[in-house]
Amino acid sequence: MTTIKVPRPPKSAHDPGRPLTSLLKSQIEHLHEAERRLPLRYRTETYVNAIKTEGEGASYIRDVTEAIHKAHADAERLRRTRERKLEIAAAAEKRPAPKRKTKSKGKVGNAKRARKK
Amino acid sequence: MATGLDQLKHIVVLMMENRSFDHMLGSLKADNPAIDGITNQLGNPDTTGALIKPQPLAEFQSQLDPDPDHHFPAVDLQIFGGNTNPGRAPNMQGFVKSYFNQQMDVKHSQKIMYYFPKEKLPVLTTLALEFAVFNRWFASIPGPTICNRAFAHYGTSFGRVDLNPLYINEPFKSIYSRLIGATPKRTAKVYYYDTTSSTMEVANLLQNQPQLFGTFDQLQKDCDKGTLPDYSFIEPNYSDHDTNAGEEIANDQHPDHNVQAGELFIATVYQRIKENAALWASTAILIVYDEHGGIYDHVAPPNCVADQFTASANATGTGAEFKFDRLGVRVPAVLISPWIPKGAVVDRVFDHASIPATVTKFFLGDYSPRSPRETSADIFIEPTGAAVDPQRNLLSLSAVRSDCPNFNV
Repeated sequence: MTTIKVPRPPKSAHDPGRPLTSLLKSQIEHLHEAERRLPLRYRTETYVNAIKTEGEGASYIRDVTEAIHKAHADAERLRRTRERKLEIAAAAEKRPAPKRKTKSKGKVGNAKRARKK
Repeated sequence: MATGLDQLKHIVVLMMENRSFDHMLGSLKADNPAIDGITNQLGNPDTTGALIKPQPLAEFQSQLDPDPDHHFPAVDLQIFGGNTNPGRAPNMQGFVKSYFNQQMDVKHSQKIMYYFPKEKLPVLTTLALEFAVFNRWFASIPGPTICNRAFAHYGTSFGRVDLNPLYINEPFKSIYSRLIGATPKRTAKVYYYDTTSSTMEVANLLQNQPQLFGTFDQLQKDCDKGTLPDYSFIEPNYSDHDTNAGEEIANDQHPDHNVQAGELFIATVYQRIKENAALWASTAILIVYDEHGGIYDHVAPPNCVADQFTASANATGTGAEFKFDRLGVRVPAVLISPWIPKGAVVDRVFDHASIPATVTKFFLGDYSPRSPRETSADIFIEPTGAAVDPQRNLLSLSAVRSDCPNFNV
Protein backbone atom coordinates (compact mmCIF):
# COMPACT_ATOMS: atom_id res chain seq x y z
CA MET A 1 0.00 0.00 0.00
CA THR A 2 1.47 3.32 -1.07
CA THR A 3 1.77 6.16 1.45
CA ILE A 4 1.84 9.54 -0.22
CA LYS A 5 3.33 12.57 1.42
CA VAL A 6 1.03 15.61 1.47
CA PRO A 7 2.94 18.92 1.58
CA ARG A 8 1.61 21.55 3.97
CA PRO A 9 0.93 25.11 2.82
CA PRO A 10 3.42 27.74 3.97
CA LYS A 11 2.54 30.01 6.90
CA SER A 12 2.47 32.93 4.46
CA ALA A 13 -0.69 31.41 2.94
CA HIS A 14 -2.60 32.76 5.96
CA ASP A 15 -3.86 36.29 5.24
CA PRO A 16 -6.98 37.40 7.13
CA GLY A 17 -6.36 40.89 5.72
CA ARG A 18 -7.24 39.60 2.23
CA PRO A 19 -10.21 41.48 0.70
CA LEU A 20 -13.53 39.67 0.78
CA THR A 21 -14.44 37.50 -2.20
CA SER A 22 -17.91 37.81 -3.70
CA LEU A 23 -18.72 34.44 -2.13
CA LEU A 24 -17.88 35.58 1.40
CA LYS A 25 -19.76 38.84 0.81
CA SER A 26 -22.85 36.86 -0.14
CA GLN A 27 -22.47 34.56 2.89
CA ILE A 28 -22.33 37.65 5.09
CA GLU A 29 -25.44 39.07 3.40
CA HIS A 30 -27.33 35.82 3.92
CA LEU A 31 -26.33 35.64 7.56
CA HIS A 32 -27.27 39.31 7.99
CA GLU A 33 -30.69 38.44 6.59
CA ALA A 34 -30.86 35.48 8.98
CA GLU A 35 -29.78 37.70 11.88
CA ARG A 36 -32.66 40.08 11.20
CA ARG A 37 -35.07 37.21 11.84
CA LEU A 38 -33.61 36.57 15.30
CA PRO A 39 -34.98 38.24 18.46
CA LEU A 40 -33.11 41.42 19.39
CA ARG A 41 -31.18 39.86 22.25
CA TYR A 42 -29.31 37.57 19.81
CA ARG A 43 -28.26 40.24 17.31
CA THR A 44 -24.67 41.44 16.95
CA GLU A 45 -25.30 45.11 16.05
CA THR A 46 -22.58 44.91 13.42
CA TYR A 47 -22.62 47.30 10.47
CA VAL A 48 -22.03 44.71 7.74
CA ASN A 49 -21.25 47.27 5.03
CA ALA A 50 -18.08 48.13 6.94
CA ILE A 51 -16.75 44.55 6.70
CA LYS A 52 -13.92 44.60 4.15
CA THR A 53 -11.51 41.75 4.92
CA GLU A 54 -11.71 37.99 5.40
CA GLY A 55 -10.75 38.32 9.06
CA GLU A 56 -13.51 40.86 9.75
CA GLY A 57 -15.98 38.75 7.81
CA ALA A 58 -14.94 35.61 9.68
CA SER A 59 -15.65 37.26 13.05
CA TYR A 60 -19.13 38.33 11.96
CA ILE A 61 -19.91 34.92 10.46
CA ARG A 62 -18.87 33.25 13.71
CA ASP A 63 -20.93 35.62 15.88
CA VAL A 64 -24.13 35.13 13.88
CA THR A 65 -23.72 31.39 13.48
CA GLU A 66 -23.23 31.03 17.23
CA ALA A 67 -26.20 33.33 17.87
CA ILE A 68 -28.40 31.06 15.74
CA HIS A 69 -27.11 28.04 17.66
CA LYS A 70 -27.91 29.79 20.95
CA ALA A 71 -31.39 30.81 19.83
CA HIS A 72 -32.22 27.21 18.97
CA ALA A 73 -30.65 25.90 22.19
CA ASP A 74 -32.60 28.41 24.32
CA ALA A 75 -35.84 27.52 22.53
CA GLU A 76 -35.19 23.82 23.15
CA ARG A 77 -34.50 24.48 26.85
CA LEU A 78 -37.74 26.49 27.17
CA ARG A 79 -39.67 23.75 25.39
CA ARG A 80 -38.36 21.12 27.80
CA THR A 81 -39.20 23.30 30.83
CA ARG A 82 -42.76 23.74 29.58
CA GLU A 83 -43.11 20.02 28.91
CA ARG A 84 -41.80 19.21 32.39
CA LYS A 85 -44.31 21.62 33.99
CA LEU A 86 -47.13 20.00 32.04
CA GLU A 87 -45.97 16.54 33.18
CA ILE A 88 -45.94 17.65 36.82
CA ALA A 89 -49.41 19.19 36.50
CA ALA A 90 -50.78 16.06 34.84
CA ALA A 91 -49.28 13.83 37.55
CA ALA A 92 -50.79 16.05 40.27
CA GLU A 93 -54.29 15.69 38.75
CA LYS A 94 -54.08 11.92 38.81
CA ARG A 95 -53.10 11.63 42.54
CA PRO A 96 -56.11 10.80 44.90
CA ALA A 97 -57.10 13.62 47.32
CA PRO A 98 -55.73 13.13 50.91
CA LYS A 99 -58.29 12.28 53.77
CA ARG A 100 -59.26 15.30 55.96
CA LYS A 101 -59.70 15.30 59.91
CA THR A 102 -63.05 17.01 60.92
CA LYS A 103 -62.62 20.00 63.33
CA SER A 104 -66.22 19.77 64.95
CA LYS A 105 -65.55 16.40 66.80
CA GLY A 106 -62.64 17.94 68.66
CA LYS A 107 -64.77 20.94 69.88
CA VAL A 108 -67.66 18.72 71.00
CA GLY A 109 -65.22 16.52 72.91
CA ASN A 110 -63.64 19.56 74.63
CA ALA A 111 -67.07 20.94 75.66
CA LYS A 112 -68.11 17.58 77.16
CA ARG A 113 -64.87 17.33 79.13
CA ALA A 114 -65.38 20.87 80.41
CA ARG A 115 -68.99 20.11 81.61
CA LYS A 116 -67.83 16.93 83.41
CA LYS A 117 -65.36 19.01 85.32
CA MET B 1 -23.98 -10.12 -7.52
CA ALA B 2 -23.61 -6.57 -6.19
CA THR B 3 -21.56 -6.95 -3.02
CA GLY B 4 -20.21 -3.39 -2.81
CA LEU B 5 -23.70 -1.93 -3.02
CA ASP B 6 -25.00 -4.44 -0.49
CA GLN B 7 -22.37 -3.22 1.99
CA LEU B 8 -22.99 0.47 1.33
CA LYS B 9 -24.41 2.34 4.30
CA HIS B 10 -23.00 5.86 4.00
CA ILE B 11 -22.68 8.37 1.19
CA VAL B 12 -20.34 11.31 1.80
CA VAL B 13 -20.02 14.35 -0.46
CA LEU B 14 -17.19 16.87 -0.11
CA MET B 15 -17.77 19.92 -2.31
CA MET B 16 -14.77 22.14 -2.95
CA GLU B 17 -14.67 25.53 -4.68
CA ASN B 18 -14.07 27.12 -8.05
CA ARG B 19 -11.63 25.03 -10.11
CA SER B 20 -12.24 23.49 -13.54
CA PHE B 21 -11.61 19.91 -14.63
CA ASP B 22 -8.76 20.77 -17.04
CA HIS B 23 -7.13 23.04 -14.43
CA MET B 24 -6.96 20.28 -11.78
CA LEU B 25 -7.12 16.94 -13.62
CA GLY B 26 -6.32 17.82 -17.24
CA SER B 27 -2.72 16.61 -16.86
CA LEU B 28 -3.95 13.05 -16.27
CA LYS B 29 -4.64 12.40 -19.93
CA ALA B 30 -0.94 11.59 -20.15
CA ASP B 31 -1.40 8.82 -17.55
CA ASN B 32 -4.72 7.50 -18.82
CA PRO B 33 -5.80 8.42 -22.37
CA ALA B 34 -9.43 7.66 -21.43
CA ILE B 35 -9.40 10.79 -19.22
CA ASP B 36 -10.60 13.72 -21.34
CA GLY B 37 -7.89 16.19 -20.38
CA ILE B 38 -5.34 18.49 -21.96
CA THR B 39 -4.02 17.98 -25.50
CA ASN B 40 -1.86 20.07 -27.83
CA GLN B 41 -4.85 20.98 -29.98
CA LEU B 42 -6.49 23.12 -27.31
CA GLY B 43 -6.30 26.89 -26.96
CA ASN B 44 -8.14 30.19 -26.57
CA PRO B 45 -7.56 33.47 -28.41
CA ASP B 46 -6.41 36.41 -26.34
CA THR B 47 -7.49 39.98 -27.10
CA THR B 48 -4.68 40.41 -29.68
CA GLY B 49 -5.88 37.31 -31.56
CA ALA B 50 -2.93 35.15 -30.50
CA LEU B 51 -3.83 31.53 -29.69
CA ILE B 52 -2.95 30.77 -26.06
CA LYS B 53 -2.45 27.10 -25.27
CA PRO B 54 -2.99 25.52 -21.84
CA GLN B 55 0.29 25.23 -19.93
CA PRO B 56 1.23 23.32 -16.74
CA LEU B 57 2.18 26.52 -14.93
CA ALA B 58 -0.60 26.88 -12.34
CA GLU B 59 0.59 28.13 -8.93
CA PHE B 60 -0.87 27.32 -5.53
CA GLN B 61 -1.62 30.96 -4.72
CA SER B 62 -1.23 34.61 -5.81
CA GLN B 63 -1.57 33.85 -9.53
CA LEU B 64 -5.31 34.07 -10.20
CA ASP B 65 -5.66 37.48 -8.60
CA PRO B 66 -8.11 39.08 -9.13
CA ASP B 67 -10.52 36.20 -8.62
CA PRO B 68 -11.65 35.21 -12.15
CA ASP B 69 -15.21 36.28 -12.85
CA HIS B 70 -17.66 33.37 -12.61
CA HIS B 71 -20.97 35.19 -12.59
CA PHE B 72 -23.55 34.42 -15.24
CA PRO B 73 -22.61 37.04 -17.89
CA ALA B 74 -18.88 36.24 -17.65
CA VAL B 75 -19.49 32.49 -17.93
CA ASP B 76 -21.70 33.15 -20.95
CA LEU B 77 -18.73 34.87 -22.62
CA GLN B 78 -16.40 32.02 -21.60
CA ILE B 79 -18.67 29.33 -23.08
CA PHE B 80 -19.87 31.12 -26.23
CA GLY B 81 -16.77 33.22 -26.99
CA GLY B 82 -18.83 36.41 -27.27
CA ASN B 83 -21.48 35.04 -29.67
CA THR B 84 -24.89 36.26 -28.49
CA ASN B 85 -26.96 35.16 -31.51
CA PRO B 86 -29.95 32.87 -31.06
CA GLY B 87 -29.19 29.23 -31.85
CA ARG B 88 -25.48 29.78 -31.03
CA ALA B 89 -23.28 26.79 -30.22
CA PRO B 90 -20.80 26.74 -27.29
CA ASN B 91 -17.15 26.93 -28.42
CA MET B 92 -15.30 27.41 -25.07
CA GLN B 93 -13.24 30.23 -26.64
CA GLY B 94 -13.98 33.14 -24.30
CA PHE B 95 -11.91 32.42 -21.17
CA VAL B 96 -8.91 34.63 -21.89
CA LYS B 97 -11.13 37.47 -23.17
CA SER B 98 -13.25 37.21 -20.02
CA TYR B 99 -10.22 37.38 -17.70
CA PHE B 100 -8.78 40.29 -19.71
CA ASN B 101 -11.93 42.30 -18.85
CA GLN B 102 -10.95 42.33 -15.19
CA GLN B 103 -7.51 43.95 -15.41
CA MET B 104 -7.04 44.91 -19.09
CA ASP B 105 -3.68 43.09 -18.94
CA VAL B 106 -2.96 40.82 -21.91
CA LYS B 107 -0.14 38.85 -20.23
CA HIS B 108 -2.08 38.34 -17.01
CA SER B 109 -5.22 37.22 -18.84
CA GLN B 110 -3.36 34.26 -20.35
CA LYS B 111 -2.90 32.70 -16.90
CA ILE B 112 -6.51 31.56 -16.98
CA MET B 113 -5.26 28.79 -19.29
CA TYR B 114 -2.74 27.40 -16.80
CA TYR B 115 -3.26 23.98 -15.26
CA PHE B 116 -1.56 21.96 -12.50
CA PRO B 117 1.00 19.30 -13.38
CA LYS B 118 0.18 16.02 -11.63
CA GLU B 119 3.01 16.22 -9.11
CA LYS B 120 1.65 19.47 -7.65
CA LEU B 121 -1.67 17.83 -6.73
CA PRO B 122 -0.64 14.45 -5.29
CA VAL B 123 -3.92 13.93 -3.44
CA LEU B 124 -6.59 14.74 -6.03
CA THR B 125 -4.69 13.20 -8.94
CA THR B 126 -3.94 10.00 -6.99
CA LEU B 127 -7.60 9.64 -6.03
CA ALA B 128 -8.67 10.27 -9.64
CA LEU B 129 -6.31 7.58 -10.96
CA GLU B 130 -7.04 5.08 -8.18
CA PHE B 131 -10.85 5.29 -8.15
CA ALA B 132 -13.56 6.57 -10.50
CA VAL B 133 -13.08 9.90 -12.27
CA PHE B 134 -15.99 11.52 -14.10
CA ASN B 135 -15.19 12.88 -17.57
CA ARG B 136 -18.54 14.65 -17.78
CA TRP B 137 -19.50 16.13 -14.39
CA PHE B 138 -20.64 19.70 -14.97
CA ALA B 139 -21.68 22.55 -12.73
CA SER B 140 -25.48 22.68 -12.68
CA ILE B 141 -25.69 26.18 -14.08
CA PRO B 142 -23.22 28.46 -15.86
CA GLY B 143 -22.96 30.75 -12.86
CA PRO B 144 -21.64 31.21 -9.34
CA THR B 145 -21.38 29.19 -6.15
CA ILE B 146 -24.62 29.61 -4.19
CA CYS B 147 -26.99 28.51 -6.95
CA ASN B 148 -24.73 25.62 -7.91
CA ARG B 149 -24.58 24.44 -4.31
CA ALA B 150 -28.36 24.77 -4.19
CA PHE B 151 -28.64 22.07 -6.86
CA ALA B 152 -26.63 19.77 -4.58
CA HIS B 153 -29.01 20.43 -1.66
CA TYR B 154 -32.40 20.85 -3.40
CA GLY B 155 -32.00 19.60 -6.99
CA THR B 156 -32.71 23.15 -8.21
CA SER B 157 -31.80 26.78 -7.50
CA PHE B 158 -35.46 27.85 -7.70
CA GLY B 159 -34.83 30.06 -10.69
CA ARG B 160 -31.85 31.94 -9.27
CA VAL B 161 -28.58 32.47 -11.13
CA ASP B 162 -26.89 34.82 -8.67
CA LEU B 163 -25.45 34.84 -5.15
CA ASN B 164 -28.53 36.31 -3.49
CA PRO B 165 -30.92 33.48 -2.69
CA LEU B 166 -32.05 32.42 0.75
CA TYR B 167 -34.22 29.36 0.31
CA ILE B 168 -37.13 29.39 2.71
CA ASN B 169 -40.69 28.14 1.98
CA GLU B 170 -39.70 26.87 -1.46
CA PRO B 171 -41.66 24.03 -3.14
CA PHE B 172 -38.98 21.34 -3.00
CA LYS B 173 -37.42 20.02 0.17
CA SER B 174 -33.68 19.75 0.67
CA ILE B 175 -32.19 16.26 0.65
CA TYR B 176 -31.63 16.65 4.42
CA SER B 177 -35.28 17.40 5.18
CA ARG B 178 -36.37 14.48 2.99
CA LEU B 179 -34.15 12.04 4.84
CA ILE B 180 -34.98 13.13 8.39
CA GLY B 181 -38.68 13.36 7.52
CA ALA B 182 -38.84 9.87 6.02
CA THR B 183 -40.53 6.81 7.55
CA PRO B 184 -38.50 5.04 8.72
CA LYS B 185 -36.33 8.04 9.55
CA ARG B 186 -32.93 8.33 7.90
CA THR B 187 -30.01 10.46 9.08
CA ALA B 188 -28.17 13.33 7.42
CA LYS B 189 -25.71 16.03 8.40
CA VAL B 190 -24.00 19.07 6.94
CA TYR B 191 -20.53 19.23 8.43
CA TYR B 192 -19.08 22.72 8.13
CA TYR B 193 -15.49 23.42 9.10
CA ASP B 194 -16.16 25.51 12.22
CA THR B 195 -18.58 28.23 13.31
CA THR B 196 -16.25 30.88 11.89
CA SER B 197 -16.39 29.34 8.42
CA SER B 198 -20.00 28.25 8.95
CA THR B 199 -22.16 26.99 6.11
CA MET B 200 -23.26 28.37 2.76
CA GLU B 201 -26.61 26.63 3.39
CA VAL B 202 -27.95 29.39 5.63
CA ALA B 203 -31.66 28.61 5.18
CA ASN B 204 -31.23 25.15 6.68
CA LEU B 205 -29.04 26.57 9.46
CA LEU B 206 -31.91 28.84 10.42
CA GLN B 207 -34.54 26.16 10.39
CA ASN B 208 -32.93 22.89 11.36
CA GLN B 209 -30.37 23.50 14.04
CA PRO B 210 -28.89 21.60 15.74
CA GLN B 211 -29.89 18.25 14.35
CA LEU B 212 -28.65 18.80 10.81
CA PHE B 213 -25.30 20.48 11.45
CA GLY B 214 -21.91 19.53 12.85
CA THR B 215 -18.33 20.76 12.65
CA PHE B 216 -15.28 19.17 11.08
CA ASP B 217 -14.11 18.13 14.55
CA GLN B 218 -17.44 16.31 14.99
CA LEU B 219 -17.04 14.64 11.59
CA GLN B 220 -13.69 13.22 12.62
CA LYS B 221 -15.11 11.89 15.90
CA ASP B 222 -18.07 10.39 14.04
CA CYS B 223 -15.68 8.65 11.64
CA ASP B 224 -13.65 7.24 14.55
CA LYS B 225 -16.78 6.00 16.37
CA GLY B 226 -18.47 4.75 13.19
CA THR B 227 -21.46 7.03 13.78
CA LEU B 228 -21.53 8.85 10.45
CA PRO B 229 -25.10 9.47 9.28
CA ASP B 230 -26.54 7.87 6.17
CA TYR B 231 -25.71 11.00 4.18
CA SER B 232 -23.01 13.58 4.97
CA PHE B 233 -22.24 16.80 3.11
CA ILE B 234 -18.91 18.35 4.01
CA GLU B 235 -18.02 22.01 3.55
CA PRO B 236 -14.42 23.21 3.58
CA ASN B 237 -13.06 26.24 5.42
CA TYR B 238 -14.04 29.32 3.43
CA SER B 239 -11.78 31.88 5.14
CA ASP B 240 -8.39 32.54 6.72
CA HIS B 241 -9.15 33.17 10.38
CA ASP B 242 -7.73 32.89 13.86
CA THR B 243 -9.00 30.58 16.57
CA ASN B 244 -7.98 29.78 20.15
CA ALA B 245 -6.03 26.85 18.70
CA GLY B 246 -4.11 29.05 16.26
CA GLU B 247 -4.35 30.15 12.63
CA GLU B 248 -6.75 28.39 10.27
CA ILE B 249 -5.95 28.60 6.57
CA ALA B 250 -8.85 28.52 4.11
CA ASN B 251 -8.89 25.10 2.43
CA ASP B 252 -11.74 25.47 -0.07
CA GLN B 253 -9.32 26.15 -2.98
CA HIS B 254 -11.39 29.17 -4.06
CA PRO B 255 -8.96 31.64 -5.67
CA ASP B 256 -6.89 33.15 -4.13
CA HIS B 257 -6.83 30.61 -1.27
CA ASN B 258 -3.92 28.18 -1.15
CA VAL B 259 -4.53 25.04 -3.20
CA GLN B 260 -2.20 22.91 -1.04
CA ALA B 261 -4.41 23.59 1.99
CA GLY B 262 -7.31 22.05 0.05
CA GLU B 263 -5.23 19.02 -0.89
CA LEU B 264 -4.46 18.48 2.80
CA PHE B 265 -8.16 18.79 3.67
CA ILE B 266 -9.24 16.26 1.04
CA ALA B 267 -6.55 13.86 2.23
CA THR B 268 -7.64 14.27 5.86
CA VAL B 269 -11.27 13.44 5.07
CA TYR B 270 -10.26 10.40 3.01
CA GLN B 271 -7.77 9.13 5.57
CA ARG B 272 -10.13 9.54 8.53
CA ILE B 273 -12.80 7.41 6.87
CA LYS B 274 -10.26 4.86 5.67
CA GLU B 275 -8.74 4.39 9.12
CA ASN B 276 -12.02 2.92 10.37
CA ALA B 277 -12.03 -0.34 8.40
CA ALA B 278 -15.75 -1.04 8.88
CA LEU B 279 -16.65 2.51 7.84
CA TRP B 280 -14.31 2.40 4.85
CA ALA B 281 -15.93 -0.76 3.54
CA SER B 282 -19.44 0.72 3.82
CA THR B 283 -18.89 4.28 2.55
CA ALA B 284 -18.70 5.98 -0.84
CA ILE B 285 -17.09 9.42 -0.96
CA LEU B 286 -17.71 11.91 -3.77
CA ILE B 287 -15.14 14.71 -4.11
CA VAL B 288 -16.62 17.38 -6.41
CA TYR B 289 -16.23 21.10 -7.14
CA ASP B 290 -19.18 23.48 -7.18
CA GLU B 291 -18.18 25.36 -10.35
CA HIS B 292 -15.18 26.11 -12.53
CA GLY B 293 -14.36 29.52 -11.04
CA GLY B 294 -13.93 31.19 -14.44
CA ILE B 295 -10.98 28.94 -15.24
CA TYR B 296 -10.47 27.26 -18.63
CA ASP B 297 -12.00 23.93 -19.59
CA HIS B 298 -12.32 22.60 -23.13
CA VAL B 299 -15.52 20.52 -22.96
CA ALA B 300 -18.70 22.29 -24.06
CA PRO B 301 -21.51 21.92 -21.52
CA PRO B 302 -24.47 20.06 -23.00
CA ASN B 303 -28.12 21.04 -23.05
CA CYS B 304 -30.30 19.41 -20.41
CA VAL B 305 -33.95 19.09 -19.44
CA ALA B 306 -35.26 22.56 -18.54
CA ASP B 307 -36.16 23.27 -14.94
CA GLN B 308 -39.64 24.57 -14.11
CA PHE B 309 -38.19 28.00 -13.31
CA THR B 310 -36.90 30.74 -15.62
CA ALA B 311 -34.36 33.44 -14.81
CA SER B 312 -35.35 36.76 -16.39
CA ALA B 313 -33.15 38.68 -18.82
CA ASN B 314 -32.58 41.18 -16.04
CA ALA B 315 -31.50 38.49 -13.60
CA THR B 316 -29.04 36.85 -16.01
CA GLY B 317 -27.47 40.18 -16.98
CA THR B 318 -27.05 38.98 -20.57
CA GLY B 319 -30.23 40.42 -22.06
CA ALA B 320 -31.67 36.93 -22.53
CA GLU B 321 -33.65 34.80 -20.13
CA PHE B 322 -32.39 31.40 -19.00
CA LYS B 323 -34.56 28.28 -18.66
CA PHE B 324 -31.92 26.18 -16.83
CA ASP B 325 -31.64 24.04 -19.95
CA ARG B 326 -27.86 24.15 -20.25
CA LEU B 327 -25.30 22.90 -17.76
CA GLY B 328 -22.34 24.89 -16.44
CA VAL B 329 -18.65 24.29 -17.12
CA ARG B 330 -17.04 20.93 -16.31
CA VAL B 331 -15.62 20.38 -12.82
CA PRO B 332 -13.43 17.71 -11.20
CA ALA B 333 -15.42 14.84 -9.68
CA VAL B 334 -14.06 11.62 -8.20
CA LEU B 335 -15.99 8.78 -6.53
CA ILE B 336 -14.02 6.83 -3.92
CA SER B 337 -14.75 3.40 -2.48
CA PRO B 338 -12.69 0.25 -1.93
CA TRP B 339 -15.24 -1.55 -4.14
CA ILE B 340 -14.34 0.56 -7.20
CA PRO B 341 -11.75 -0.89 -9.56
CA LYS B 342 -8.57 1.12 -10.13
CA GLY B 343 -8.61 3.44 -13.12
CA ALA B 344 -12.37 3.66 -13.64
CA VAL B 345 -13.40 6.48 -16.01
CA VAL B 346 -17.08 7.44 -16.28
CA ASP B 347 -18.36 9.11 -19.45
CA ARG B 348 -22.04 9.57 -18.55
CA VAL B 349 -23.24 13.15 -17.95
CA PHE B 350 -23.80 14.33 -14.37
CA ASP B 351 -24.36 17.61 -12.58
CA HIS B 352 -24.99 18.53 -8.94
CA ALA B 353 -28.69 17.57 -9.18
CA SER B 354 -27.31 14.03 -9.45
CA ILE B 355 -26.39 14.27 -5.76
CA PRO B 356 -29.91 14.54 -4.26
CA ALA B 357 -31.14 12.26 -7.06
CA THR B 358 -28.66 9.54 -6.08
CA VAL B 359 -29.06 9.89 -2.31
CA THR B 360 -32.87 9.96 -2.56
CA LYS B 361 -33.02 6.91 -4.82
CA PHE B 362 -30.58 4.94 -2.67
CA PHE B 363 -32.08 5.66 0.77
CA LEU B 364 -35.72 6.51 0.02
CA GLY B 365 -36.58 4.97 -3.34
CA ASP B 366 -39.23 6.82 -5.33
CA TYR B 367 -39.95 10.29 -3.95
CA SER B 368 -41.84 13.36 -5.02
CA PRO B 369 -42.12 16.24 -5.41
CA ARG B 370 -38.74 16.93 -6.98
CA SER B 371 -37.62 19.42 -9.62
CA PRO B 372 -37.58 18.43 -13.31
CA ARG B 373 -33.79 18.86 -13.28
CA GLU B 374 -33.41 16.39 -10.43
CA THR B 375 -35.83 13.80 -11.78
CA SER B 376 -33.94 13.80 -15.10
CA ALA B 377 -30.42 13.76 -13.57
CA ASP B 378 -28.37 10.57 -13.79
CA ILE B 379 -27.38 8.82 -10.55
CA PHE B 380 -23.87 7.71 -9.64
CA ILE B 381 -24.74 4.92 -7.19
CA GLU B 382 -27.24 2.29 -8.25
CA PRO B 383 -30.05 1.49 -5.82
CA THR B 384 -30.14 -2.00 -4.33
CA GLY B 385 -33.27 -4.12 -4.12
CA ALA B 386 -33.78 -4.52 -7.84
CA ALA B 387 -31.50 -6.05 -10.47
CA VAL B 388 -28.37 -3.92 -10.71
CA ASP B 389 -27.14 -2.99 -14.18
CA PRO B 390 -23.46 -4.09 -14.19
CA GLN B 391 -22.65 -1.46 -16.86
CA ARG B 392 -23.75 1.32 -14.51
CA ASN B 393 -22.57 -0.03 -11.15
CA LEU B 394 -19.29 1.67 -10.17
CA LEU B 395 -18.93 -0.35 -6.93
CA SER B 396 -18.40 -3.43 -9.04
CA LEU B 397 -15.61 -5.40 -7.36
CA SER B 398 -16.46 -8.69 -5.68
CA ALA B 399 -14.09 -8.01 -2.76
CA VAL B 400 -12.74 -4.94 -0.94
CA ARG B 401 -9.43 -3.71 -2.38
CA SER B 402 -6.37 -3.98 -0.20
CA ASP B 403 -4.19 -1.71 -2.36
CA CYS B 404 -5.84 1.67 -1.75
CA PRO B 405 -3.36 4.50 -1.11
CA ASN B 406 -2.71 6.19 2.21
CA PHE B 407 -1.86 9.86 2.68
CA ASN B 408 0.58 11.09 5.27
CA VAL B 409 -1.50 13.78 6.98
